[in-house]
Amino acid sequence: MPMKLVKTESENELEVERILHAKRYSLTLDRNLCVGCEICKTICPREAIEIKIVPKVNGEKAKQPIIDVDEQKCQYCGICNTLCPFGALKVRVDGEHVISVVKTESFPQLIRDIEVDTTKCDLDCVECEKACPLEIIEVSVRTPDGKEVSDIAKSKKKNVSVHVDIKTDLCPSCRLCEMQCPEGAVRVRKMFHGVMKINQEKCPEGCQDCLDVCPITGALYLGDNEKVHVNELYCIYCGVCKLVCPEEEALELQRTSVHHTPVRSGAWNKALEKLTSTTEMTKELRAKGSMKARGSVEKRLAYKEVS
Amino acid sequence: MSEEPRVGVFVCHCGLNIAGVIDVEEVTEYAKTLPNVVLAVHNRYICTAPGQAEIRTAIKEHKLNRVVVAACSPRLHESTFRRCITEIGLNPYVLEMANIREFSSWCHLSTPREATNEAKKIVKIAVAKARLLQALETIEFPVTNKALIIGGGIAGISAALDLADMGFKVYLVEKSESIGGHMAQLDKTFPTLDCSICIEGPKMVDVSRHPNIEIISYANILHVEGFVGNFRVKVRKNPRYVIADNCTGCGECRDVCPIEFPNKWDLNMGVRKAISLPFDQAVPLVYTINMDHCIECYKCVDVCGARQAINFDQQPEEIELNVGAIIVAIGFESYLPYTDHQYGYGKYDNVITALEFERLILAAGPTSGKVIRASDGEKPHSIVFIQCVGSRDVNKYEYCSGFCCMYTLKHAVMLKEKYKDDIQIYIIYTDMRSDFKGYEEFYNRAQKAGVHFVRVKLENRSVTEDPGTKNLIVHAETEGDQPVEIAAEMVVLANAAIPVQDAADLAKLLNIPIETDGFFVECQPKIRPSDTDIPGIFLAGACLGLKDIPYSVAQGSGAAAQASTILSRSTWIIEPFIAKVDEGICSGCKICKSVCDYNAVQIEKTHEKELAKVIDGLCRGCGTCSAACPTGAITMPLYTDAQVIAQVRAALEEVM
Repeated sequence: MPMKLVKTESENELEVERILHAKRYSLTLDRNLCVGCEICKTICPREAIEIKIVPKVNGEKAKQPIIDVDEQKCQYCGICNTLCPFGALKVRVDGEHVISVVKTESFPQLIRDIEVDTTKCDLDCVECEKACPLEIIEVSVRTPDGKEVSDIAKSKKKNVSVHVDIKTDLCPSCRLCEMQCPEGAVRVRKMFHGVMKINQEKCPEGCQDCLDVCPITGALYLGDNEKVHVNELYCIYCGVCKLVCPEEEALELQRTSVHHTPVRSGAWNKALEKLTSTTEMTKELRAKGSMKARGSVEKRLAYKEVS
Repeated sequence: MSEEPRVGVFVCHCGLNIAGVIDVEEVTEYAKTLPNVVLAVHNRYICTAPGQAEIRTAIKEHKLNRVVVAACSPRLHESTFRRCITEIGLNPYVLEMANIREFSSWCHLSTPREATNEAKKIVKIAVAKARLLQALETIEFPVTNKALIIGGGIAGISAALDLADMGFKVYLVEKSESIGGHMAQLDKTFPTLDCSICIEGPKMVDVSRHPNIEIISYANILHVEGFVGNFRVKVRKNPRYVIADNCTGCGECRDVCPIEFPNKWDLNMGVRKAISLPFDQAVPLVYTINMDHCIECYKCVDVCGARQAINFDQQPEEIELNVGAIIVAIGFESYLPYTDHQYGYGKYDNVITALEFERLILAAGPTSGKVIRASDGEKPHSIVFIQCVGSRDVNKYEYCSGFCCMYTLKHAVMLKEKYKDDIQIYIIYTDMRSDFKGYEEFYNRAQKAGVHFVRVKLENRSVTEDPGTKNLIVHAETEGDQPVEIAAEMVVLANAAIPVQDAADLAKLLNIPIETDGFFVECQPKIRPSDTDIPGIFLAGACLGLKDIPYSVAQGSGAAAQASTILSRSTWIIEPFIAKVDEGICSGCKICKSVCDYNAVQIEKTHEKELAKVIDGLCRGCGTCSAACPTGAITMPLYTDAQVIAQVRAALEEVM
């Protein structure tokens, strides 16, 4: 059979496929998980991902941008899969979830560092579950053999324990659950670090487009002056706000580092540079002490750091 | 030669070929009356040794300084008589042939009187020209004893090995990463069912190890100039991003590379890594990074380590080759029948082409030799082969692709021997062509193996699919208009083989003609099947017209032998028929350059004047420039204006 490059789209999912006689590759985008933040587009090494800004209709709230993947360009390397903070993208080979860049250790994975000490949990507390803006936390009380207890009062609170199930793959590590936990049982380490500023004097009157599209409750909020404020405690630096902002200089977003598994990879250096900046990227390289990789990057990008 | 012309006319009987119709006595007597003719004789066979001796004696005795031989076509014996008169000390170019055989006796068999008159006129015209003939010198060029072979398929490989064994330096330029061509893609060869790569692989290795052969693969021909014995060819080596000298072919880079992309070598049915070889036996054994797919993770750089074979900064490199002869052996391509909608290729998953099937059944192929359907990965229990898809079709390719009947028989026999009664094979054909050594016997073997042959008309064949099971039904009509329907779990199309896409571009670079169907044209299909119209450029293999492996090998060797007739000389001599420019008259208008079909005219700048200059080696002596020159600055030394006008005058005067 001759090769087929196929794209199928539905309301909930976008799928691109490369179908060969003997092998089948696919990349799926779960539109329910995707917030349109542009990270995948930024780091795609083959520029296969496009982003479409949804034009704003007067009187309506701003909508999150829409991701499109070019089936002619996608190489199914899985870099977007590893870096999507929301776990919206998935590559499969012959139906199995295989990220080739991870398998061959040629690209790092995000470290989703979330710890819950359930011994501290109150049996009837579900604050973290309530706090999660993406609804990926499920709190339950179970008996030692794993049975869920529906009526906590009846169980006499003996021999039962609290379980906190977090769909880690989908967690962008906003820390809302950590901050809302009354017992200090949750600890979340952010994946993306950076600086986010709103120059309110540049904000158009009454505009809160950034707030409309922000996936994290409380990262942006409307202040008393009717202007949007940022709470960097929760901000995940995904950048979807900047995409919809009508004023070029109103929002300033600069990522500084990404929490990832250690790996030597030119593709990562390039991705990191695009996500942060050349300075931050070389900082990381220096930290790694990887002189050779640095040399190769310098050669490739004709970039020489001024020491 | 300023002395008075003394013309000798020798009329030949050519047995009865001439004398049976023409009164040679009368022609001889008439010749004696023509101006400056001091001798006219006739002889039964002038081309024989005694005949030639008579000419030499006459030249000596009568102090002849111009010779007219009234006999056959100059194509046949002009060179014989030129040699003959040279032996007695005359310049070879004071000879003129009067062709009274082809132009008179043969075409006026029943009218001897008119034939005789016509012969007299032809002799008169020849004498008129002969009186004005001048001594001329031949032109010699040194010959570069190296050859260029374009295309590293089996024809090119054969030619390269033969020439290299003769001791000539050979440059083998191949467009793709590896030599081998189509033969390296095949599983078995008909009719012996030998493993294809097992036969070709050692030959490929021989090529790579031969001290006289330099393989320039992953390269394109950019520009060709010069002429026989002295071609200059510009070649671009495309960057592999791997330094050939440092690459050991170990494959460690391939193992760590994260990216897979469809392998064209496998007809995109399987994959290869972004740094890889197209196939394991590739020659040269040098890896290539495909930048259309690479994500630049530099894993390969890391693992290659101290060998330092990988260079992401590699640039295309242009080199110039100086060669004496060129052999073109660029092979063929497969026609992909997407537009023949009736077969459903590209639409139905289980319809594939023959070459795709070849990769499927090949042990080293993308499925490790398992014949499976694309729709469900299952082995089919029935396969229908449809012959002549695109070939023998006046709307597509009118010609017969030549080898499809045989490869289909091969596929059928291989399937039957592999799966026995577990598979039903049908071949839908119109004519079965098995006309070389051992081929008909192979056809019989297929019949005995239980393959079903269904003879149908070329028209009205189609395939339909059951969307649920993805099974297929092949529809056709017999010669007697009876409908035929055959259910199949897989359909294999014997798709046409077609000229290589860039054949026309190469033809332009080399200034050689191509046929309307896109294949190159040989100089003479019967007796010069490897020559082009351009001296020093030869053809071999399927680029000339489709042919199978043994025929391509033979033609490669044939072209090598032809090329060696040039390469083995130290100089190449051309006759002085080439255009001459009188610099004093040339106005530099460049009309000659614009009309020259052979790029033989160059414009040179001298002291504030532009002048036409003819490159001797390229000039074919056609005279177009001379006729087009408005100032009369260009002369054809063998056909000067004065000579041609004298001939025309003679032709228009009444013959007595």
